[in-house]
Order: sequence, then C-alpha cells, then structure tokens
Amino acid sequence: MAALPSSSRSLGCFIRGGTQCRRGFAGAARSYIGCSSAPSTSESSSMRTREQHSQQRPRQSSSIANIHRRYYHRSSAPSKKSWDPSLDEYKYWNREESKHGEASYVLDMSPESIQREARILCLADERDDADGPLTDRSTSKLPFGSRLLHVGTTPDDFPDSLVGENPNVLFVSPSCPHARLQLPLILHKFPTLEWIHVRSAGIDFLESDELPRVTKRGIVMTNAKGQFSSSLAEYAMMACSYFAKDVPRLLKQKGAKVWDDFDIEELRGKTMGIVGYGDIGRATAKLASVYGMRVVALRRNPDKSELDMVCDEVYGTGKLSLQKLMSISDYVVCSAPSTVETRGMVDADAFRASKKNQVFINLGRGPVVDEEALVSSLKDGTLRGAALDVFATEPLPADHELWDIENVLISPHNMDKTATFMHEATEFFVNENLPRFILGDTLLNPVDATRGY
Amino acid sequence: NRHHCFYSASTSPLQLAKNSDSMDNTVYWNRETGRPNISEDGPIIQEARILALCDPNDAFNQPLYDGELPEGAKLLKVGSSLADFDESSIIDQNPNVIFVSHPNARDPLVQLLRKFPSVEWVHTRSAGVDFIASDGLFQSSVQLTNAKGMFSSTLAEYCMMACSYFAKDLPRLMQQKKDVNWEQYPVLELRGATLGIVGFGDIGRASAKLAKAYGMTVLGLKRNATNFTDPHCDHVYGMDGLNELMARSDYVLVSAPLTEQTRGLISAETLSQCKSSAVIINVGRGPIINEEALIESLKKGRIKGAGLDVMTVEPLPKESPLWKLDNVLLSPHNMDMTLTFMKESTEFFISENLPRFVRGKQLLNPVDKSAGY
Repeated sequence: MAALPSSSRSLGCFIRGGTQCRRGFAGAARSYIGCSSAPSTSESSSMRTREQHSQQRPRQSSSIANIHRRYYHRSSAPSKKSWDPSLDEYKYWNREESKHGEASYVLDMSPESIQREARILCLADERDDADGPLTDRSTSKLPFGSRLLHVGTTPDDFPDSLVGENPNVLFVSPSCPHARLQLPLILHKFPTLEWIHVRSAGIDFLESDELPRVTKRGIVMTNAKGQFSSSLAEYAMMACSYFAKDVPRLLKQKGAKVWDDFDIEELRGKTMGIVGYGDIGRATAKLASVYGMRVVALRRNPDKSELDMVCDEVYGTGKLSLQKLMSISDYVVCSAPSTVETRGMVDADAFRASKKNQVFINLGRGPVVDEEALVSSLKDGTLRGAALDVFATEPLPADHELWDIENVLISPHNMDKTATFMHEATEFFVNENLPRFILGDTLLNPVDATRGY
Repeated sequence: NRHHCFYSASTSPLQLAKNSDSMDNTVYWNRETGRPNISEDGPIIQEARILALCDPNDAFNQPLYDGELPEGAKLLKVGSSLADFDESSIIDQNPNVIFVSHPNARDPLVQLLRKFPSVEWVHTRSAGVDFIASDGLFQSSVQLTNAKGMFSSTLAEYCMMACSYFAKDLPRLMQQKKDVNWEQYPVLELRGATLGIVGFGDIGRASAKLAKAYGMTVLGLKRNATNFTDPHCDHVYGMDGLNELMARSDYVLVSAPLTEQTRGLISAETLSQCKSSAVIINVGRGPIINEEALIESLKKGRIKGAGLDVMTVEPLPKESPLWKLDNVLLSPHNMDMTLTFMKESTEFFISENLPRFVRGKQLLNPVDKSAGY
C-alpha cells in the first residue's frame, strides 16, 4: 500500500484502504476517469499542472475528437499559482467557477465526436419535478447520443425487455424511497451499467453493505459535489455573525422595546475550525478568510491542502487532531460527510476540549456529531451556542430537546435549498457529465463508493 | 499614488491638500490594512499641548488621561466646557491640539477655538463629525481629523449579516422554532444579488470587499464619482444616479455621513424606486433616510425589510412603530461597538497622529470642512 507523500508530517493521517481502492477504481475506469496510468494516486496527479494532467489522458483515434478535446480543455488557467482543488475542473465541478456545458457545445458542433451512446435509467420518484431536466419529456433536452430509457423506483418498475437494450448509465435521485435497497437490485438486474450519477452531494442515503460492489464491478460513481457549497458557506458566516452580534439579544430587546447598547464581537481576528475540508469547507474558508478570520481545517488528506491559500493550518484526522482543532477554534463548522469513519466523530471528548465560548455549526450531516454530547454541551455552557441545519433524525422530532434550548439556531435542512438548486443539480448531469461521458471524457465529481463520499 | 502635500503661505506646516475623496491609504487609516507605526521616524519639530474636550470619567480615554504619551506630547487638561479650561496656567501654555469625544462638544469646541487661537489641530475620536458640526468649526482654520476607518470592518460584517438575515429568512426560522415546526422553505442566495452602497466611503469599501467575496454585484454612489474606481465596486454613480441605484439593488447599504446634502436623501420618492424585495440597511446616520417614509414602505410591504443600526432619534422612542415591525432588524447603534473600539480610536490618536504632528508630518484621516465629512 503506497503511503501518501507527506503522510509523516500530518497528525494521524489516514492511509488505510483508501489508496488501494483509488488505484483499483482508477484502473478499471481508466478510459474515462482520465487518471494517470501510473499507480501514483489521483491526489498526487492533481498536484501537477493542468497541462501535464491533460497530457495523461488516453488519446482516441479520431483526430477531430483530438482537436475538440484540446480545445475543450484549453481552459483559462486560474491566476492562483497554488493548487486549489476547487479550481481543478477535472475533478470537482463548482457552480461559481466552472463554465457551463462546454462539453455540450462540442457535442452540438460535431456530433461525430461521440464515442459512445448513453442509455439511461433513472431511479427516482416520477413525481419529483427536480429531476425534470432529465425526466420531463416535454421540456428536457438531452444531449445528442443519449436516451432516457425509463424512470422507476424498484427493479420491477423497469420492464425486463430493457435488459436487452444494455443501459449503461444510472441516474439516482434522493426522491427514490429505500434507494439503498433498490440500488444493488438494479445493478444486479442490469449488468451493463457502467456509470452511476447521484443527484445530491451526500451519498449516505445509498449506504449499504452492497455498495462497495459498485467499486468492485468497476462502475464509476459521480455526484453533485460543489453544487451547494456557496449557499452553505453563506449560512455558515451568517451563523457566526448571529452569535457575534448577539442577534438573540437584539430580538429580545426589540420585543421588550429596550434600547441597551451592548458590546458586540467581531469575526475579524477570530479562529474558524472546519471539520471536513471538502468543497463546502473550502467555500466557507474562502469567506472566512476575507473576513479576516484565521482558518484551520481537518481532513483525511491534509497534504492536499498544503498550498491552500485560504486555510492557515491543516490537520489530518484522528481524535487528537479534532480535539486540538476544538481547543483553538472560536467557531467550528462541521461539513464532513457521513461515512463509517465519521459517524459520531464529534463526541463528548471533542466538546470537552472546546475553546471557551465556542460556537458550533453543523451543516454536513447530523450523524457526524454525537447529538447527546452536543445537547449536554449546550446546556452546561460548554458551548456558547450552536447553529444546526442537519440532525441525526430529520425531520427533528417534535419532542427533541433541541427545540427548547435557547442558544440554538435550528433550520430544517434547508440552508442550501434555493428555489432551483435541485433542478440545477439535475442540469449538471444533463449538461455537463452526460456530454462528457458521450465524448469519452473525464467525468466530474468522482465519488468513492467504498469510502462513502 | 502618493498623496500631494503642499505648504500654504501660513506659518503652519501642516496644511493638507484637499483630496478628501481619495481612497489612498496613505491618507486614511484603516484597521484592516493599517500599517504598523511608521510615524516615529524623523526629528521632533514642535510640541503637542493637548486639551481634551471629553468626559473625565470616560474609560475609553484612559490611554490619553493616564497612559504614556509619545515624546513631545503633553496633556494639559480634561474638561467638558469652556469654564474647565479657563485657567491662566493653561492659557500661558498656548495649547495647540484639541482632542474631542464629549457628546455635547459642539458649542464648547467653538468657544475653545476662539479662546485659544494657538490651536491648530482638532481630532475627534469618532468617525462622524456631525456632532460637532458648526460654522464656527468649519470656517476656522484648524485642521480637523477623525476616526474614519476605525469601525469599517465591523460594520461591514454587520452589513453582510443583515443581508443574510433576510436572505435566509431568519424571522421565519425563529418563528418556526417557537412553533416547533419543521417546514422546509427555499432560501435566497446572496451570490448573484446586487448590493447598492449609498456613500461609498471607508465603510462602503469594506462592505463591498465582503460582498464581492460572496459573489454579489456591487454598485456605489459618491458625491464625486468622476474618475473613481475601486476593485470591489462594479459601477459607481454620482448623486444623480440615486434612483437608478435603488431600482437595481436587492440590498441597499446607507453608509454616508450626515451632511446638509445627505439629510433626507432617501426620501419617499427614492424608496418608491426600490424593488419590492429590497432590503435597506442603515449604518450611516438616521436622518439620511426619511424615517416616516421608510416606516410606511415597510408597513405596506413596498420593500421587504430593513436593518437599522441608526435612527433619527436615539435612543429610539418607545412610540416609534419600528419596534413592532416584523420585517425590521433593530440594533441600538452598537454594531460597531466592540469592547475595544473606542479605546482603539483613542490609541490611534496617541500612537499614529500625535507622533506625526510633533514631527510635522502629514496627519491621517483629514476631514474636508467644506464638505462636512
């Protein structure tokens, strides 16, 4: 098992099966994930420049396709010299910075550049109109070379005759009930599936013992990472300010018609700790740094953030690292995905290490935090307050203690729910990844089914 | 981009060029980018003999009353009226600097200026000079400096919070929590929305910087917009562009000083230009907005909401309808009140402008007396 380059420098860095999985994953999907042929992992490959990276991709025989591929990937290089994963459009699509549907333009301009057809199955509740850009036949405009075969929620919904059509793409929407059970059954029924795209960012709703089979079969999985990041970053900063300017007190004074000019705090100069430094974490860090906050982050692969310009310090995972982060952060933003490793990660020990007057913000997944420990910390004054958009059980049960705790800002998992966000997530599949698949190009937003995110 | 410093025919070496709209950081001190003290090189050419027109019990002025002053500077007396300074010991020393923080300093200040013609420089601890504005002050020959830039970043934070407060519909969140109601509703993003800044001074600039990071479009309005550019401002209007700015903006930040020109600037007619989804945020001075017209617009739903840190009368009288309007975020003029802000401002006087004065160097934060800010 190859160790990651600077693992010795990071605290408690995880170097377990992840690396091996990535290699296998990349190997099987080499034709369109575009990882380098050398076993050096996708992490280190992304350390190279954009130009070097593009040279690694497999060449196709068609010269027209070559020309288009070179044109297509000749994107304006970012002015930042340091490696910033959010700018690496080969990996992660980010609404603020990525250019829309370049691949679709190529396809429109030269249909002969298609490398393969996309024959799509959709695992979704047909009443979910957020899947409209794909499923609504009256309005959807699928790229040339793709066909939607069927929409359903269980294997029985899909007629057996479809097997003969060799569907190769599966689009999974969170609206599909019991998706974690249905997915393996669909995979079993349709052995020709090569690519699964999940409409949301979180794939924990698909978690099951069967899910690692996806990787074993060499099926590529992609998701909506990056779609929701900026909205959540806005929420995170608002949550910090909510406590810094003591909005609860403002509202109370207003209700009582009391004019009492109290001291407030600035965010400038304070420290924000980000647990789970993915796309959401980075978007938050970007805002926090403009506010003049100091940013420290915790992630599985700290070396990936070595040159990150908006993050002052990065730690690897592990209890001690988390406690260190908790002990120095005035505001903690938890944006980690929910996986086997992260479940219950922020526990009583972590809260015990909290800096005085800390504010805890969770916008990732409820199960990452030990909810009981959180409630105790709020009640006994360990924490100044919390802002929670996600919970272990959603909707939050009416009898849950959190509703009654004063210093908690509760939101119903809607802080990324703009009016159009789910449509946009489906559009990303239709206008970005689907054309890429058809052109034989790198798919954006790869997910490791075994790792869970 | 060096600021020009020229010497007038008068004996004072400290006349500054009138360039008050410049965003040149060599003239305006700004805590985010404020450089460390470079004012202490060069020979001392004169003394600073200081009168403090302040409340002697004001703890924020401790560094001035009890602390160590820079070389060449001496505090003669602290007082709140002319009578306090009417002593021969003071008169004989020819005080040349007045530091002002007393809320009722308007008349005493003018009296002091008349009594002590040796005073060359008046520094006020606040950013606003409206509290001491008078003909007597503005027509005198003294140099006036203030605390511009001291409070900008804090107010910029408040501005973004006020925008988010309405974008994520915090009032609804609070109500739903009270009702134990888990109801998912859509939220708005600031990204892509437009922030219009009326009075693009230092507070406006600091807010624009944050707004751009959020991905907002920023429009500015300045008294002298010609040739003005700022990396964080997408388009700047002159005073005649006010209505257009209001019409284009989703969020309006009023961060202008109070002068004869800006009093009542945001009138009923101006407000009628706003989008019905617009949010007005005021961190400048209450009288800039016609408060009755604002209340009317809020009540009728002609604008979505307002975040007000300043009001026409402060403290806000209990009869004001503002207290009861659901779509108003009210704060008691404290959104720049950090524990240390006033102390920092006093320290700015002591460790930045005083050393400059005694060395005959250019003072920071000049106020344009003819403009009133």
